[in-house]
Amino acid sequence: MEQRTVRRSAFRWQGLLAFIIILVLLVAFSLLLLNSILKWTMEYNLGQLNGAEVNIAEVDHHWSPLGLELTGVELTDPAAPMQNRVVVGRLSATVNVEQLLLGRIHLEEVVSTGIRVAQPRRSAGEVYQLPSADSVANELRQQFANFELNLPSTDEVMSRLQLQTPAAIAKAREQLEAQQTKLAEAKQALPTEEKIKSYEQQVKAITEADYSNPAALARAQQEFEKLKQQFEQDRAAVLAFKEVASESADTIKALFAEVRTAPARDLERAKQLMQLNSEGLSEITAVIFGEQVQQWSQYILLAYEQLAPMLARSADVEPVADERAQGDWVEFAAASAPPSFLIKHAVTEFVFGETQVEVDWQNITHQHAQLGQPTTFRARGENSNLWRVLNLNGELALTADGVDARQQWQVQGIQLQQLALAESQQFAATILSTLLDSEGSVALRDSQLSGGGTVRLADLAMQASAENKWANVVAQALQKLTHLDIQTDVSGAMTAPVFALHSDLDRQLGSALQSAALDQAETQLQGIRADLQAQANGFLGDSEQDFNEILALVTDAENREQRLQSLLKAKLEAQLEDKLKDKLKGFLGGG
Amino acid sequence: MLTLLARFFKALNSETGAWALAFAFVLGMIMGITPLWRVHNLLILLVALLFRVNLTGFLLSWAVFSAIAYLVDPISHAIGAAVLAAEAWQPVWTAMYQSAVWRVVQFHHTITMGSLILSALFAPILAVISYFIVSRYRQHIQRWFMQLKLVQMFKASRLFQIYAGLKGE
Repeated sequence: MEQRTVRRSAFRWQGLLAFIIILVLLVAFSLLLLNSILKWTMEYNLGQLNGAEVNIAEVDHHWSPLGLELTGVELTDPAAPMQNRVVVGRLSATVNVEQLLLGRIHLEEVVSTGIRVAQPRRSAGEVYQLPSADSVANELRQQFANFELNLPSTDEVMSRLQLQTPAAIAKAREQLEAQQTKLAEAKQALPTEEKIKSYEQQVKAITEADYSNPAALARAQQEFEKLKQQFEQDRAAVLAFKEVASESADTIKALFAEVRTAPARDLERAKQLMQLNSEGLSEITAVIFGEQVQQWSQYILLAYEQLAPMLARSADVEPVADERAQGDWVEFAAASAPPSFLIKHAVTEFVFGETQVEVDWQNITHQHAQLGQPTTFRARGENSNLWRVLNLNGELALTADGVDARQQWQVQGIQLQQLALAESQQFAATILSTLLDSEGSVALRDSQLSGGGTVRLADLAMQASAENKWANVVAQALQKLTHLDIQTDVSGAMTAPVFALHSDLDRQLGSALQSAALDQAETQLQGIRADLQAQANGFLGDSEQDFNEILALVTDAENREQRLQSLLKAKLEAQLEDKLKDKLKGFLGGG
Repeated sequence: MLTLLARFFKALNSETGAWALAFAFVLGMIMGITPLWRVHNLLILLVALLFRVNLTGFLLSWAVFSAIAYLVDPISHAIGAAVLAAEAWQPVWTAMYQSAVWRVVQFHHTITMGSLILSALFAPILAVISYFIVSRYRQHIQRWFMQLKLVQMFKASRLFQIYAGLKGE
């Protein structure tokens, strides 16, 4: 077979036409499906950033200027799939074409309106990444469920009381017996009544005798001196006894006094023990207001809770090693290069009931180091239907160590009405009306929150009801509140803030509960009081005679001592000398 | 697919130039091995359509190498990642990264870069091998091949009916 070579042109011009047709078809197809492609792409990428399903009702685009318009954006809350953490009514953005050609998404002006937080979903959203920490709200609900107060029984109190009254009685009885024994022994050394009377007769005989001469007088003197020595000895014995008896009387008196006061002291301790057993007493503010404050915090910490995690996730550019089929996109951005994603200016319009708040954002990006500026946000509002003054401003930057941010807020004159705090079967509380002021500051360092603020509730009117008697005490106390200052401390991780709440309510409700508990315990306390008093009175009645006997011994000893003292003081010598002188005068002069 | 095969055999047995077939294989191979939605593939398509390259061979090669690409992707990824991470080339990549044109080419994608390098290296080999095989086939094998009993049976088959019904390019 002879080979025949045909020399033809290297170009096939109809092929160029086919190429153009293919190109036009490709462009037309892309344009036709562009909105759908954008919708799917954004739902997927925003879903990854959000950690849960994102739905966009409609996406539209325009070419001049290049921009997008989204309607009905719903971001599922990963912690509560039946709820949207944020709903955006409408969002429009213009795109920088020059940066887009360089592969960077720079949105010049973003305006989003109709933003609402914590909105219910029609169906549960898919969750891609569960929040790491337990929900604070669940924790508080659990606390409320555990808010059960118990009054200890009388037996329980008595077993823990270690009563002082029986101990004081036993001690007094023992001491009384010991003192009685001691006094009986001491009494042995005491000069008897007969002996003292004998002394008195002897002294009388000596002093009243008629001495006729000095020799008789001298003998009488000698005899008197001997007697005085005996008086001294006996008086010393009487004084010793008197001292012992007085000490015994004082001891017994003190012990009896202890017995008398012991029932009162026991009763006081019984009251202390008969108090409410609940650790929740010091956390009443957190239990009642915690969930609501956490909801309010969603507005205050919106920038941290919503935006920062998304930026943090978008900053996660670590290559995925196992996805070889898809390959990796390697970035070669210079340190000074513009960020790959930047929203230069955004205005977000949040809706609170019928009131709207505009938040002004600058420089939203995840590459703050490249931009050299933090993301800033500012919200201001005055004299709206809901509040008198609202100031919120702050800044936020992603660093190598995490998120660094700080913000301050001041809000005054928020009018709250019909705000349910608790709606459980056991306890229901509603703020009928109040004026709320709040101010504070929160900082983020290495993704850890710190700071706090004050929530002041003035002109407060509350309605509360409860089934449990103790919860009812709380309910009654709440209804009496007219104002309340709550101090809040914020700490913990950025995505799971922990709130600590303190207020005067803890003390007020605590004492109200204690007072109610004591009223409840009054019957039991009366029983304890009667029992203790009977014990004390019985002992004191029985021992009164013994005590009086000891007192009588002291009196008797004093009496004997006085008599001996008077005997000792007898001036025999002078008397005898006078008598003798008279005798001598009569004998010499008259005789 | 039968039509495509039939067209291929017809081209093989026609007076179409051996180099035209070889280039068709090369272009189809590049388009098949590299990711489809890339700007460079538009260029390949333009070349295949504009120049008198055998389209049947191009399409067949594209289909075959698209299947092979799934096996080659890990190698492409490894080559691309190594090249893009090469320290000496960083200034070049960084400069290209700042250019809109190069960003559109998506050179910074590991599989794109790796498969382009792989196909560029393999292109001359495939071209020479293809040319050699087509030439040898036409010189030595075609007549012997046509006389085989198997081919005779094939001539009576449905595929041959399609083949016979085709008009030359």
